[in-house]
Amino acid sequence: MTDVTQQEPRSPRGRRDVLSGAMLLPALVLVGLFILAPAAYAIVGSFFEFTITSRNWVFVGFGNYARAAGDPVFWTALRNNAFLIVGSAITQVGLGTILAAILDRGVRRGNAIYRTIIFMPVVVSSIAVAFVWILILDPNVGPLNAIVKSLGFRPPKLGWLGDPQISLWMLLVIAAWQNVGFQMILVLAGLQSIPKELYEAAALDGARGFRAFRYITLPGIRNVLIVGTLITVVGGLKVFDLVFVTTGGGPANATQVLGTYSYLQAFRLGNMGYANAMSVVLLAIAVLFGWLQLRLSRKA
Amino acid sequence: MTSRYRLVSIGLHLVMTVWTLFVLAPLCLMFVAAFKSQADIFTRPLGLPKTLTFAAFERAWGIGIGGFLFNSLVVTALSVTLIVVVSALAAYVLARASSRRMQALYLLIVAGFAVPVQSVLVPLYQFVSAAGLLNSQIAIVIPYAAYGIPFTTMLFYAFFLEFPRELEEAARLDGCSRFQVFWRIVLPLSGPVVASAAIFQAVFNWNEFILALMLLTETRVRTLPVGIYGLIGQYSADWPALMAGLAIATLPLLVVFVAAQRHFVRSMSGLGK
Amino acid sequence: MPSLQIDSVVKSYESFTAIKGVSFTAEPGEFVVMVGPSGCGKSTLLRSIAGLETITSGAIRIDGRDITHAEPSDRGVAMVFQNYALYPHMTVAENIGFALKMAGRPKTEIAAAVAKAAKILRIEEHLHKTPKQLSGGQKQRVAIGRAITRAPDVFLFDEPLSNLDAALRSQMRVELGRLHAELKATMVYVTHDQTEAMTMATRIVVMNAGRIEQVGAPLDLYNRPRNRFVAGFLGSPRMNFIKGRVVAAGGMGVTVQAEGLPMPIQLEIEPDADLPTIGDAVTLGLRAEMFGQGAPGEIAIPARVAVVEGLGRETLLYADAGDLKTFDSESQDGYLAAHRASQVMLRPGDPLTLSIDPAAFYLFDANDRTLRFPAVSA
Repeated sequence: MTDVTQQEPRSPRGRRDVLSGAMLLPALVLVGLFILAPAAYAIVGSFFEFTITSRNWVFVGFGNYARAAGDPVFWTALRNNAFLIVGSAITQVGLGTILAAILDRGVRRGNAIYRTIIFMPVVVSSIAVAFVWILILDPNVGPLNAIVKSLGFRPPKLGWLGDPQISLWMLLVIAAWQNVGFQMILVLAGLQSIPKELYEAAALDGARGFRAFRYITLPGIRNVLIVGTLITVVGGLKVFDLVFVTTGGGPANATQVLGTYSYLQAFRLGNMGYANAMSVVLLAIAVLFGWLQLRLSRKA
Repeated sequence: MTSRYRLVSIGLHLVMTVWTLFVLAPLCLMFVAAFKSQADIFTRPLGLPKTLTFAAFERAWGIGIGGFLFNSLVVTALSVTLIVVVSALAAYVLARASSRRMQALYLLIVAGFAVPVQSVLVPLYQFVSAAGLLNSQIAIVIPYAAYGIPFTTMLFYAFFLEFPRELEEAARLDGCSRFQVFWRIVLPLSGPVVASAAIFQAVFNWNEFILALMLLTETRVRTLPVGIYGLIGQYSADWPALMAGLAIATLPLLVVFVAAQRHFVRSMSGLGK
Repeated sequence: MPSLQIDSVVKSYESFTAIKGVSFTAEPGEFVVMVGPSGCGKSTLLRSIAGLETITSGAIRIDGRDITHAEPSDRGVAMVFQNYALYPHMTVAENIGFALKMAGRPKTEIAAAVAKAAKILRIEEHLHKTPKQLSGGQKQRVAIGRAITRAPDVFLFDEPLSNLDAALRSQMRVELGRLHAELKATMVYVTHDQTEAMTMATRIVVMNAGRIEQVGAPLDLYNRPRNRFVAGFLGSPRMNFIKGRVVAAGGMGVTVQAEGLPMPIQLEIEPDADLPTIGDAVTLGLRAEMFGQGAPGEIAIPARVAVVEGLGRETLLYADAGDLKTFDSESQDGYLAAHRASQVMLRPGDPLTLSIDPAAFYLFDANDRTLRFPAVSA
């Protein structure tokens, strides 16, 4: 009898552990094999010099990192990433918040139509976005040139994307065109989750208008703004498709970003080790921001 | 007072309208250009097409958009299914476990979210080619799934944490095994989070470019974004055909979005929490 | 009609122990109510009986069969949850029949069992609805119906009425009593509401801080609480507790000087209680309904009305009696609670004379054990 009762608990609990393991395993294997292992492999690979085809790895220590430090294009790429990150955070989060605030309180008619259309570009692939904007900005057949000319101005000689002074700004505009809707819906959800009673209580306490915004609205969407900003920041860091298709990093590396430059080094020039080193820099910045997001959202 | 109120109201509408038109114009351009002739594109960049012609769509279809569309459908359907199933299973186990070891496993999976795919291109290419999985639209589903799992697991984890435990306990008393509790009680009540996860992942994977660019080098196996990108060199002057191809690539998600807007918005509102 | 035996059950978590060695037996057909403040371990104990928690040590038996390590569904218990725990994606009929379906019973048998439970609970017309379409009381009936169809050895109830409004709650109390009489089943019922405990239980288990304070029939516990905790927990309004000190002791009695009373009072103590010594701190207890009518031998205390709760046919008075204060009630500000079985035309601030018969006092020693019970007049 005692034997039986002592045996009994083991088997169901043992079976439960096996079941849990079986339910967990696919996720662990996929994430481990295709994300974490490659990340580790990229770090290791950044200390070697090798090409796609060669199995021959040459240890170069911090050579690849030294090479990056001395490579002006790497610094241009990093600077461009920073430009896009800051620019996107300002334009996308800023515009998104303004539009969301108008939708939340300002306008009643047409609310659904505005919301639907402004969000649409989010579900459009960045390849389609890139090509449509190439057409719009095309010096020969682009409607933008036609409009500018008809207004009596002169469009840039080298083209909107061909002029190194303008092309990065154009990328910022395109990114805003695509992503403002995302930020808008995010902030709108935050605004609408603030209970109406809070505004009523604040009004009774004498806080209306700007003060209600300052003491009720802003704290209420603080978390949403943090999340939105970090999504934009990481987006600006990872940007690839848009740049790759519209400018390919040109003209003369003027729009090169870490993503396109490491792709160029790896798959066009065959410098796998060097590409890995730049990837590790990208990874480090991404992990930093991921950690920041965790910290900030926990505090709130 | 009222006139000032109306003025403000008109101003706000103006802001919304300007941005809405700015967003709408390029989309319209894409669809309009797809119906134009090549001559129209050059001579009347701002005008509507003279005659409504499906010629550009026929040309686009003729150069393989149909195949890309099929590949995209297969890849998206398979990867979304895989992501949702695998993430839901893992998130359920993790959300119901309290041990340190399990929490560490959760953090491990979530850590994958911080790794941008751009930063592991080289090793990923080496892995996939070493496994002999280059140029297979089935094989690309696996890395797609891997990159969808961290985010989706977080989504499900948060949902399962708030799932009423009493329902699961009642089911256990009613004779459900652990797996039956999940299968008969938890999953049927997870509709909203499954919809959210599927929506996010469908958008990501339908539009995914960089992995497909790297791992699908043959035209035969390509999905829409890389497929269309790959055609540029050959057909660079044929704007209407390009726009027709993009319209075909874009329309399915636009339709899904307009039809399932509520779900989109609800999915998004979960992100800010 | 099996019995349920709880044998030295201990439940420890990493940082604290929720149940510190609890034993009692629910006899066949008993309606046992476990009652205590939140966090006392009563719910954990109930969940341990159901198999939803694994106990650290001890044993649980139903009819002598050890179920300590059995799966929840193999224990022969059914549970009614606080939030009903109805499956939202199933109809009422499917909810009630789910356990039988999981047990692989034929459809006709399930349908018959569902119909029978629905009839007992008078929810036949709701069988095709989903839980969302039901009111709180109806949901609770469905939850009970789900338990009935399983024909369990023991019914477990986890605060099942706490989400209902007051009127419905008293109605459901009556119905649960009827159900118990009809099914003649062994039931264990957890609540923090002493009214539910007093009205429904055949026996009450009072728990506090992971231990059983006392087990007994409702009126036994009310009249003869073993300690100050039980005395304070059962009864509304709460018993008045007054600080005192032993000034003389001898034979079968003590003389106590209570704070705020004009003179020391002599009290007999129970034969089996330990006689306190002079200088010991003690507590006097007086239930609100035990104030006297001004008969000879009673002590008259001048007081002032602080709060009046007119309940219609009865009245609760909270009286400010100067230094004579009840000391362990935070909400009462030290005011003495007095119960009048009639309507009283008093308003806050009015003077009032409280009359106290020393024989009506409970007495507790420094460790809160009961030293004496008043004689029950009725």
